[in-house]
Amino acid sequence: MSATTGSDQSPLHRLRQRPRDSVVVYATLAIGAALWLFPLISTFRQSVQYGGLHNYLTVLTTDYNGVNLVRAFGNSLLIAALTVTLTCGVAALAAYAFAKLDFPGRETLYHAALLLLAVPAVAIMVPVYWITGNLGLFNSPVGVALPEVVLTLPFAVLLLRNYADGIPNELIEAARVDGAGHGRIFRHVFLPLCRPALVNLAALCVVWSVQDFLFPSMLLNDAGQTTAAQAVQTIKGAFAPTPLQTSQYFAALMLLAVPAIVIVVVGLRFITQGITAGGVKE
Amino acid sequence: MTSHLTTPSPDAPPAGARQATPDPASAAPAASAARSRARARRRALLPAALFLAPLLALYGVYYLYAFVFLGQTSRQSVDLSFTGATDVGWRNFQLVLTDPVFWRDIGNNLLFAAVSILVALTLGFFLAVSLASGVRARRFFFVVFLLPSLVPMSLFATVFGQLIQTNGGAINQTLRAVGLGALAQDWTGNTTSAYVAVFILLTYLVGLPVMYYTSDLTTANTAVLEAAMIDGAGTWQMYRMILFPMLRGTHRTVILSVLLGSFRWFELIYFSTGSQPAGRTGIPGTYIYDQMFPSTGGGQIGYASAASLVVLVVAIAVSAVNVLVQRRR
Repeated sequence: MSATTGSDQSPLHRLRQRPRDSVVVYATLAIGAALWLFPLISTFRQSVQYGGLHNYLTVLTTDYNGVNLVRAFGNSLLIAALTVTLTCGVAALAAYAFAKLDFPGRETLYHAALLLLAVPAVAIMVPVYWITGNLGLFNSPVGVALPEVVLTLPFAVLLLRNYADGIPNELIEAARVDGAGHGRIFRHVFLPLCRPALVNLAALCVVWSVQDFLFPSMLLNDAGQTTAAQAVQTIKGAFAPTPLQTSQYFAALMLLAVPAIVIVVVGLRFITQGITAGGVKE
Repeated sequence: MTSHLTTPSPDAPPAGARQATPDPASAAPAASAARSRARARRRALLPAALFLAPLLALYGVYYLYAFVFLGQTSRQSVDLSFTGATDVGWRNFQLVLTDPVFWRDIGNNLLFAAVSILVALTLGFFLAVSLASGVRARRFFFVVFLLPSLVPMSLFATVFGQLIQTNGGAINQTLRAVGLGALAQDWTGNTTSAYVAVFILLTYLVGLPVMYYTSDLTTANTAVLEAAMIDGAGTWQMYRMILFPMLRGTHRTVILSVLLGSFRWFELIYFSTGSQPAGRTGIPGTYIYDQMFPSTGGGQIGYASAASLVVLVVAIAVSAVNVLVQRRR
């Protein structure tokens, strides 16, 4: 809505100069939006088909297989908070070294660190299970957050280094001349300057952490610790195949989408900037 | 949105600037300058090591040690308790690499990535350009197209799985309601329709490519469209001859990011078709998971480890291509 006035000036509006073209564009967008909203709308319809809106209250106040949805949201947020803190901290420290310290083997190490960009969670499940057990971190939010952090780090390092390369070296040099050590420069010069990139990274970490299903489902078997993404599976068996309980199951699915939708709508700007800045660019 | 791009173009400076920033202090005789630079670099080793320590510690445990651990378990017959392992040599690798299902799953992964890329380069491109052409309610459309990619994959795939249920599934109901009842079917009942279902599901994930195109469209030099317009270019020509080639770099970004991301699509398949019918729509992710948690009996961890290592080699190889492409540019 807010964007229309400014981007009307974009030469791209030439593409819609003929009324026919404008119709095609709007028709595509409208049909597309209808199709993209279809899963949401149909899930909502089914959630109120039997039992009506009251289903939502029921679902919120009932434990399914020991899982309470509100608590599941809380668990997801706690793990997300840990993931954000650790990822941003570790990646910022590393980005300082990669962007502002000239040391032998820097580029080799940097590219080696990037090689892990596509490692799928499922491929390291076996060792992660063993490592988490040995660290005594089963059924602990930290145990889930750590592997999530590790899978996000290659992207995080790429994003922050890309950004930090754009920070003028003179600023760092000037602080050096003034006698500041690397620790102080990192805290008082580098971190504040990286703030925009860190905010984007944090938003992405929240999205990805809340999306994660594998690590929680594997490392948390205490129903009280279940996360929202994991609950999708855990609660399913608790609903009998009666019309009413089926509707309630759909109500639960709707509710599980709410935190993600809120995060996306609120953090959209940061998510977009983060993903596009971390992409492989020219 | 345009005004929000406060990031001082993180992609612009690095390429050349990174290598060739001559230290102003050492502009004197070349040889001694090189020597003092080498000394300065060596002196930077200690602080660099300190700043990199947390990263290296985490990588060391969860990647390096993990890979070594996989190397061990992949040559054992063992379950998730990791006790009573028996050594079986390279037999697990032999079994994985000669299992036609494993290769079919890798083929599926590539096919699904290809379909996703195709959707991104056509529909994703068109949607992004449309959204950038100053349409009304732009932000609404943007959020709507993006949502399926950003809610938990387990949730979206589950909802989609419910839509394609044979009885009571919303897709079949809608088809019947609009008189297309002949198309209503048991979606996961035969291979073709199950593939179609997965393709539709992948189409729903077009939001991220739209995001990449949108971002680059704000900086692209679209002013040439005005000139083309004066020269009498038609709309289709402007899309095909000007805009599509102009976003060459973005196409590459999109292709690589979809390909890299495709290795992480486990939840997508697991919660939608559940690899049905008879494992035909499986991918390596579901393959490994099913070995770890089979519906009957204990997990075959040695076998799953061998499959994991093969998948890791493929994923790292694709990342390596990505890094090389980036470096060359």
